[in-house]
Amino acid sequence: MSEPFEPKIVAFVCTYCTYAGADLAGTSRLKYAPNVRIVRLPCTGRISPMFILKALQKGADGVLVSGCHPGDCHFTHGNYHARRRWTVFRALLEFTGIPLERVKFSWISAAEGGKFADFMNSVTEDIRKLGPFDQYQRLINETEAPATL
Amino acid sequence: MSIQEQYKKRVREILSSGAVKMVIGYQAGTTADRRRPLFIRTPEEAEKLVLDSACIANLSGYLVTEGLLSDEKSVGIFLRPDGIRSINILAAEAQLNPEQVVILGFDGNEKEVTALQGEKAKDFTAIIASIKEHAPSAPRNPQLEQIEKMSPKERFEFWQAEFSRCIKCYACRQACPMCYCRRCIVDSNQPQWVNTSSHTLGNLEWNVVRAFHLSGRCVGCGNCDRACPVNIPLRLINAKMAGEVLGAFDHFAGMSETQEPVLASFKKDDSETFIL
Repeated sequence: MSEPFEPKIVAFVCTYCTYAGADLAGTSRLKYAPNVRIVRLPCTGRISPMFILKALQKGADGVLVSGCHPGDCHFTHGNYHARRRWTVFRALLEFTGIPLERVKFSWISAAEGGKFADFMNSVTEDIRKLGPFDQYQRLINETEAPATL
Repeated sequence: MSIQEQYKKRVREILSSGAVKMVIGYQAGTTADRRRPLFIRTPEEAEKLVLDSACIANLSGYLVTEGLLSDEKSVGIFLRPDGIRSINILAAEAQLNPEQVVILGFDGNEKEVTALQGEKAKDFTAIIASIKEHAPSAPRNPQLEQIEKMSPKERFEFWQAEFSRCIKCYACRQACPMCYCRRCIVDSNQPQWVNTSSHTLGNLEWNVVRAFHLSGRCVGCGNCDRACPVNIPLRLINAKMAGEVLGAFDHFAGMSETQEPVLASFKKDDSETFIL
C-alpha cells in the first residue's frame, strides 16, 4: 500500500514582509499545511529565477514566491524589479511547458498572517490535486541524482 | 558599381586614412552559400571582402573581444539592422563605446543586399524605430503558433524532445553577441546551478537560463540557431520572449544606445495580474 501523496512545496519569501507574515501566522496560532519549506531571503529582488529551477530540480512539486506589496519594499524598489523578472520568467516557464499552477507568486505583508496561512493552505490543496510533478521527476531520475528535498 | 565594390572602396578609404584600425566583414566560406568573418587590417586585404545575401551572421560579438577597443581606436564593421541593434544594447550595457564603432550598414533579403546610409549607431535610429513599429504585425513563425496552441504537457514533451539532443557544447552562447559574461552561470560551480552532464534536465535548465538572460536583449539575428549543431530551434524561444517583453513592457531591444535594459528598470504600474 502506497502512502497518500503529500506535495513538497518550496516558498521563497522576503524577510521583511512575507517572513514576518509567516511569523505572525505562527504567533497567532494559525494552522497551515506543513508541506511548505520556507527559504528566507533579504528581498524579493534577491530571488533569482535559478532558485525556482533549483527547487524543481531537487524535486519540489510546487514553488511559491512572495514578498512585500508594491511600494512597501524595505529597499524601496526590489519588488518592482522582481515583478518584471517574474513576468518574463513566468512566460518562459509557460512556453517550455512547466505548468504555471506549480509556480505561484504573491504579495503578503507583515500584517497578513491570515493571508499567509490561507495562501499556504490553498496552494498545498491545489498541488495535491495536481499530483506529483511526474514529467519533471522523470528527468530528475534520469540524472541518477535523487532529490534531496 | 555593385554594393560590394562600393563597400570595398569605402573600406580601403577608411583604412588608409586611419579612421579605423580594422574592419570586420565577410569573406567566402567553405561552401558557395557560406560566408566567414574577415578581419581587414590593411587596404590590400579589402580585396577578399564579400558582401551579398549570404552574409547573414551578426558580427557585432567580435567587438567585445577583450582589449579590442581599449586603445580608443575605431573599428569598422559590416552590420545588418539587427547587428546595429546589438551595438546599441552593448553600448547601453556599457560594454563598448558606440563612438568607436564605424558601421558599414546593409540590409536585404535572400536575393540581394542594399546599402544603409549612416556611420554611427545613432544614425540608424529611424530604421530601427520603423522595425519596432512593424514588429507586432510582422508575420509570426507558424511553428511558434503551433507550440502556443499545445497544452502545457505537450509543450513540455515537445521541448524535452528538442533539448534531449543538446550536447551542452555552448555554441549558442559563443555565437551570441549578447553572451559576453566573462564567467557564465554554467561555468561557475559554487553553487552549481545547472547540471554539466548532458542529461535532459540540465539541458532544459541551461536552455531556460539562456533564454531568460536574453529576454529583452535578443535582436533575433539567429546566430545561436545557426550555430547549434543539433538544430534545436532556439530562435523560437528567443522570438517568443522578445514578443512577451514587447507586449508586457513595450520594450524593443536595441532602440538606442541609452535605452534602459528591460530587466534593470521598472515602472510602478507594470502589470501584475498573476500575483495573488
